[in-house]
Amino acid sequence: MIPAEFDYSAPTSLDEALALLGRQEDAKLLAGGHSLLPALKLRLASTPHLIDLGRVPGLTEIREDGGVIAIGAMATHHSIETSELLSRRCPLLTQCAAWIGDLQVRNRGTIGGSLAHADPGADYPAAVLALEGEIVARSATGTRTIAAEAFFVDMLTTTLEPGEILTEVRVQPFPAKTGSSYRKEPQPASGFAIVGVAVAVTLDGGRCSKVRIGVTGAASKAWRAKAAEEVLQGNAPEDAAIAAAAQQTTEGIEMNGDIFASAEYRAHLVRVYARRALREAADRARSA
Amino acid sequence: MKVSGTHTFPAPRERVWSFLIDPYRLARCIPGCDKLETIGENEYTGEVNVGLAAVKGQYKGKVKLEEIRPPEHYKMLVDGKGKQGFIKGSGTVDLEEQNGATLLRYSGDAQIGGPLASVGQRMIDGATRTMTAQFFTAMEAEIAAAPGEVARQGILLNLWRSLVKGIRERLARVFGGKATAR
Repeated sequence: MIPAEFDYSAPTSLDEALALLGRQEDAKLLAGGHSLLPALKLRLASTPHLIDLGRVPGLTEIREDGGVIAIGAMATHHSIETSELLSRRCPLLTQCAAWIGDLQVRNRGTIGGSLAHADPGADYPAAVLALEGEIVARSATGTRTIAAEAFFVDMLTTTLEPGEILTEVRVQPFPAKTGSSYRKEPQPASGFAIVGVAVAVTLDGGRCSKVRIGVTGAASKAWRAKAAEEVLQGNAPEDAAIAAAAQQTTEGIEMNGDIFASAEYRAHLVRVYARRALREAADRARSA
Repeated sequence: MKVSGTHTFPAPRERVWSFLIDPYRLARCIPGCDKLETIGENEYTGEVNVGLAAVKGQYKGKVKLEEIRPPEHYKMLVDGKGKQGFIKGSGTVDLEEQNGATLLRYSGDAQIGGPLASVGQRMIDGATRTMTAQFFTAMEAEIAAAPGEVARQGILLNLWRSLVKGIRERLARVFGGKATAR
């Protein structure tokens, strides 16, 4: 449980962090450290240089800015779970954060760290996909914004370049008559999602004017269940329509299996949890 | 862990077979394979550097081929070890002719142990699938590139090609012309 030797820096500005990152290949960024540090201690991962983002100012803020909600990459799961702004304007993120690990993990782990690590069992990817969020990355040469759907490539792999730092996640606040839900089957020991389904539903005159479904945990990366969304689009969210949509959530996706849950069982769980999440989100939209 | 699947190659069976028994060409297609050497008849040792993102490790191991029935079948025994874990297993490869194309069927069973297996269990399935896909993509390109007869000289030929390409590119840079390799 002792990691291999590495250098440690704690830069106090983003520019300094970027400069350090550019200096050494294979340098790793430390956010909450709840995935990276265990991997280093087990020697599953190693790095010559650890760059701690903990002292870089301005990365923990959650604010509304010109009609967009911006969440700093170093915002902890707990600060997201308990954010008054998010629970009022974009509750899917608070619902999702509440399901992550345990309180200790939520107190240290960060949204930026979780997204950049792209663990296939992480919770946020489902929510960020369902919210059609954007990921902001800074590099020495500038800033770029990546749509959530283009961000996740494969397990532990994103479109972030080696010299980039994820600084912010941007989501749109909920329009009127919108409800959301996150339903999850956690792995009993690790708390990671065996499956997790995030749903946001917007109603207009009793019919679904917008449905977004993000699924995590079941495959190598999180995905948007577009075939399922289309089933509900323009229809009233009644039980039969919801059940029909839920059946489509696993369409075209290759599931992963392990000793806890086979691929077939995961597919089944996705469909069941999609149905429950859709029902709950629709109920919340009606009373919104 | 059990693995199985199929892959169709748009090439005659003999050509796919000649690839599958050529350690040099195999090595070029195995993701992260640094070394594959013959140590006996149908027996090889190798080194691979595999993993995803930061979770990477070096593994050394032995591969042995049995039940060889050209050009349609062999059995492969694998025994490997690294700092993060070990793998021990066996699998079969079968080739079937299909109107000029070749259907490859593989199936195997492997035991994976050590820290990687206990902590990374939930990722092994997906990682295996990613690497299998990488291997087949590389293999398809490799089979399409070199016809069966030159397979034996594959590695020399490739060295020669990259040498020629390198010289051409350098010349082109010096003289400002356009480089066209091959």
